[in-house]
Amino acid sequence: MMTKELNDDGHVGDLLSGYIDNELTQQEQQRVRLHCDSCPDCSRQMTELREMRVRIGAATLSNRDHDFWREDMDDMTVKATRGIGWLLLLGGAIIGAGVGVYEILSSPSSLSLLEKLVVGGVYGGLLLIFISVLRQRLVERKSDRYKDVEI
Amino acid sequence: MMLNTHQIQHDLALLGGGAHALAIQILGNAEDAADAVHDALEKVLRAPGAYRPEQGPFKPWFLRVVRNRCIDLLRQRRPVDNRSDEIADAAADPAREAEIADRDRVLQLALASLDSDQRQIIVLRDYMDLTYAEIAAVLDTAPGTVMSRLHRARVNLGKAYREYDD
Repeated sequence: MMTKELNDDGHVGDLLSGYIDNELTQQEQQRVRLHCDSCPDCSRQMTELREMRVRIGAATLSNRDHDFWREDMDDMTVKATRGIGWLLLLGGAIIGAGVGVYEILSSPSSLSLLEKLVVGGVYGGLLLIFISVLRQRLVERKSDRYKDVEI
Repeated sequence: MMLNTHQIQHDLALLGGGAHALAIQILGNAEDAADAVHDALEKVLRAPGAYRPEQGPFKPWFLRVVRNRCIDLLRQRRPVDNRSDEIADAAADPAREAEIADRDRVLQLALASLDSDQRQIIVLRDYMDLTYAEIAAVLDTAPGTVMSRLHRARVNLGKAYREYDD
């Protein structure tokens, strides 16, 4: 730890800050204490520094408390989980549709025309709905001015 | 030893307000500062193993991540887009003014009159209660310079506070 004599102006200067922050060696603390006992200027400055420190410690410098940040982190987790969920759902749906189409094409005689129409209608409907939602989301993403606004 | 995710989230939530206060001193407005803290939280949660206890305490490490993110955002801003005056200007906004108690308003005006480095060091010490060694780690500066820089900042803040308080 550094040791420091008085400043050129005869005062202890930045040692005052070290003193109120308890960052000085015992020797330095003793020197500051002795100096302040006989120097009204440094004694007054130390009082002012202490008051300002208390004032800052008690101030509200951020308008977002720990609940806000906890919720912010929860949102991140939810978004990540949702992303994985969508990925799994989409992957499963594509594989399922592929298997279904393959089954229909590879064994045409095992299904009646009606069954083929029903299965084709279900898969075709799902596909159309998916494309429609996807298109709508993409359009909204491009044109929504408020997409980055968090509610 | 590695901290578990639950513990990290708990610690990060407690640090969020202080980190936000620090980011405001660097970026000059609360919204950008919130974005910077959000990005830092996301980065830490994505790779919690990036923090190793042997590097030192978690608090200064996270604040350094936040500060680095703020510096990145400052670099991305257009050169003419200097919004540091918004800290002081915020007091002129009636809605905002109503929210801030008079004492805090004077303090924020006084803080805004300092340069960014001085604001940061005061927030780190007096608002977040970091030691000089921890402050040096966050600001990436020599520990021996912290006391003199902090003292200069406090003296300037005191002068500014008295001016605005009159």
